Amino acid sequence: MSSDRIFGLVVVMGALAFFAGALQIQTSFLSDPVGPRVFPMLIAASALLCGLVLIAKPDAEPEWPALAAWGNMAIALVVLVSYALLIGPMGFLTSTALAAAGVSYLIEKNARTAALTGLGLSLVLFVIFKYGLGLGLFAFPRAWMG
Amino acid sequence: MTKLKMLATTAALMLAGTTSAFATECIAPANAGGGWDFTCRQVGKLLYDLKLVDAPVQVTNMAGAGGGLAYAHVVADMNTDADVIVAASSATTTRLAQKAFGDATADQVRWVGAIGADPGVIVVAKDSPFQNLGDMVAAIKADPGSVAFAGGSAAGGFDHMKPLQVMKSAGFSDITKVKYIGVDGGADAITQTIGGHTQAMTGDMSEIVGFIKSGDVRVLAVLTEARVPGFEDIPTAREQGFDVVAVNWRGLYVPKGISDDQFNAWATKLQAVADSAEWKETMTANGLAPFTKVGTDFQGWVDGVIAETETLSREIGVIQ
Amino acid sequence: MDTLANLALGFSVALTPYTLFLAICGCFLGTIIGALPGLGPSNGVAILIPLAFALGLDATQALVLLTSVYYGTMYGGRISSILLNIPGDEPAMMTTLDGYPMAKQGRAGDALVISGVASFMGSFLSTIGLVIMAPLLASIAYLFGPAEYFALYLLAFCTLGGVASKNQAKAALAACLGLGIAMIGLDNSTGMPRFTGGNLHLSDGIDFLVAIVGMFAISEVFIFIESHGRNSALGVTLGKISIPWKDLKNTFGTMMRSTGIGFVAGVLPGAGASLGSFMAYMAEKGYVGSSGYFGKGDPRGVAAPEAGNNAAAGGAMVPMLTLGVPGSGTTAVMLALLLTLNITPGPLLFKDHPDVVWGLIASMFIANVVLLIMNVPMVKLFVKVLLVPAWVLMPMVTMVSFVGIFSLTGSYFDMILMIFFGALGYLLRKLDVPTVPVILGILLGSEMEDALRRAMVLSDGDWSYLFSSPIAIGLWVAAIGGFLAPLFLRGKLGKPIPVSDTTLDQD
Repeated sequence: MSSDRIFGLVVVMGALAFFAGALQIQTSFLSDPVGPRVFPMLIAASALLCGLVLIAKPDAEPEWPALAAWGNMAIALVVLVSYALLIGPMGFLTSTALAAAGVSYLIEKNARTAALTGLGLSLVLFVIFKYGLGLGLFAFPRAWMG
Repeated sequence: MTKLKMLATTAALMLAGTTSAFATECIAPANAGGGWDFTCRQVGKLLYDLKLVDAPVQVTNMAGAGGGLAYAHVVADMNTDADVIVAASSATTTRLAQKAFGDATADQVRWVGAIGADPGVIVVAKDSPFQNLGDMVAAIKADPGSVAFAGGSAAGGFDHMKPLQVMKSAGFSDITKVKYIGVDGGADAITQTIGGHTQAMTGDMSEIVGFIKSGDVRVLAVLTEARVPGFEDIPTAREQGFDVVAVNWRGLYVPKGISDDQFNAWATKLQAVADSAEWKETMTANGLAPFTKVGTDFQGWVDGVIAETETLSREIGVIQ
Repeated sequence: MDTLANLALGFSVALTPYTLFLAICGCFLGTIIGALPGLGPSNGVAILIPLAFALGLDATQALVLLTSVYYGTMYGGRISSILLNIPGDEPAMMTTLDGYPMAKQGRAGDALVISGVASFMGSFLSTIGLVIMAPLLASIAYLFGPAEYFALYLLAFCTLGGVASKNQAKAALAACLGLGIAMIGLDNSTGMPRFTGGNLHLSDGIDFLVAIVGMFAISEVFIFIESHGRNSALGVTLGKISIPWKDLKNTFGTMMRSTGIGFVAGVLPGAGASLGSFMAYMAEKGYVGSSGYFGKGDPRGVAAPEAGNNAAAGGAMVPMLTLGVPGSGTTAVMLALLLTLNITPGPLLFKDHPDVVWGLIASMFIANVVLLIMNVPMVKLFVKVLLVPAWVLMPMVTMVSFVGIFSLTGSYFDMILMIFFGALGYLLRKLDVPTVPVILGILLGSEMEDALRRAMVLSDGDWSYLFSSPIAIGLWVAAIGGFLAPLFLRGKLGKPIPVSDTTLDQD
């Protein structure tokens, strides 16, 4: 089955779920003639139509990456999510160095340049953002900073 | 001289925003440009100009959930922070009374003071057939669909309540028939009204000052107890026989967990701002009426207002 | 010649060595802020407001600094669009479509120069428009009620089909996705939550910045990991950087037309710069017809959106100054600044505070000239970015994106959401689903719905109200034409007949 057909199927199911979700929206007694449900339902209907068109007339198969590349991207996803969760508790410097080194290594498999990139970026960006643009960043875990 | 100034500027640009430069933070729970933002910026500026704080006050815009996000943030994360003040207005207490901030209640923060009030107004375009509030009320009674109001708050919000209160006081009970559209702020509402898309605008005096002076609009009524200084030719609703008073006070709240001394210190500072000549000038320029209540006095008043709003909202049917 | 005398007054307050110095600082900072993904014009101006006070600047100086930053970000946004396929801010989104292909062909320098000149033309001419017609133009905003705005948004979505390379259903689907995302949050009319799952973070909806940074910047990181940087603009042999006079001459008409469209979009408070650049691009594409190669590195596809969005930035000053209605996030911040300076914009602003208004207008001219001069030598510096190896550049883009989003709310939630959009963007790009309509849907979705619902309140649910004015009818006709034209023309594919421009030419 072609990718577009699978995608179309996902869209159709998503549109139906969205429609069902729209039915659950609470309305208030002060509501206007259209109300909060109609527009989402219109969107769901249009999306449903598009999904059906995709199933009926799929495009040529896109060039999907090899299994190894999928693996790398999955690792990247994990690195990014952990970065998002750790930037607060761990402080900016450590978490950024680790995440930047990770992303760098995934693009070019060279541990040395990756480590250097991580260290360099975390320091340079910290200085730019903290002192150049005045964003409220913490270098180290907030607990250490008192 | 100029060179020195340039050097200093360059240095300042490079060191800009090191957080230590801002001791006090004023949170405006909306995007820049609205009433809360105005409160934070004006009060923040005066606090610094009057040397009541050592460093410029940093204004943080924390938009979300009509102020609910900032409220939740202050209650949860800043409960003992004595260096933070948060802008508030009638909209804040209206939403708290209508349980629009989820489970949040008004006693989770301390209400430190109000330093001015924005009188509610009912406005029409200059070519409107309505000459006074009575004309308009009569027209709505005859055909509720003939007059649509535009206002800056969502349905059920503070701006929507004003015409509903007027209609109620005129003995019209079918208030769900009154047409109202909520647009993005008072300026947008007045634009729609002048453009003839809606027949009337409900909002605050400060939002229409420029349009009054330019003669593009006619204010049918101001919803205060007495006429507003500087706008003496605008009649109140009360003198036209509709006993409705709705002012949008501008004030601040602080976190619950700060000490009584810290609370009183803020109250004193706000009083000083309210008493300053600069603030009085700002108020006249922006159509604000004097309205100063600080400290425990204000706290008590807010408790009363919330109870009242709750009753009214229930009567009108906004909450069950 | 009141205007000229006023303008002279404006320049006399704005043109001192110190203010010029501030303008240069502002333009430089603005360009950098604009080029960084996630940090756009509103952030740039908002970050600098406290600075203006810390420096003790007076009203005119503060305005000069902030307009310079504003225009700097508008110029800067295009740089990362062209070099990295990552728009620095939302109005620069359309510039990726042709700017990045040009960079891949080794013409990054040309693209930067053309877009720089287009930006200059757009903002310079729109500032002139502002000078001559501001009070007059203010009344255009009065003409647009809910019905007219609804038709305008509909027009934008109906012309979307042309964005997709092959499959129009995919463009429509992308728009639906964006519109669906826009529905998340508190309903504007009733205040009831929709599709939030009870999450307070979602009650204010999904910030389009989170979506745009995710869909463009983070998904680009995935593309790089997949391909190890091959098939990107990095490392392509750069041609000698010279001023592409021929392209500039050929795109002159484009710039003029796009400036007109962008300016009108800017004047309408509900439209703004993003819609301005979108409309300018689509109109130009329709106008040029099948002789163009839009989406594959057509210089006109670079000139049109940049002239359009910068003209819109100038146009947006009209409702902000004359009505106090901010047409965009940035003008909202500038409005806040004026209010802080105790100046309330409104119909009398030009009469009451001529020094401030004309000082502002003069500083807009100054900022534009400074930026044009600064940009020509800076192009050489910017294209050097393409010599940076991918293993440094992409981690940097990632980290900048994270910090940009982190600075919005300081919550991890938005960053996770951004990663989600990154993964989604990657899949969509692989499936040849265009991402531009998704962002447009998020930007305009709730506005469009609000317009519809307000119209229905006013008409008591009578749908014919939507066609009740000549403007609305005109927009509907254009929208239907714009939707049908690509469908109809597809049948004629292969025959290089110039496309009729009747439906899209809004100029």
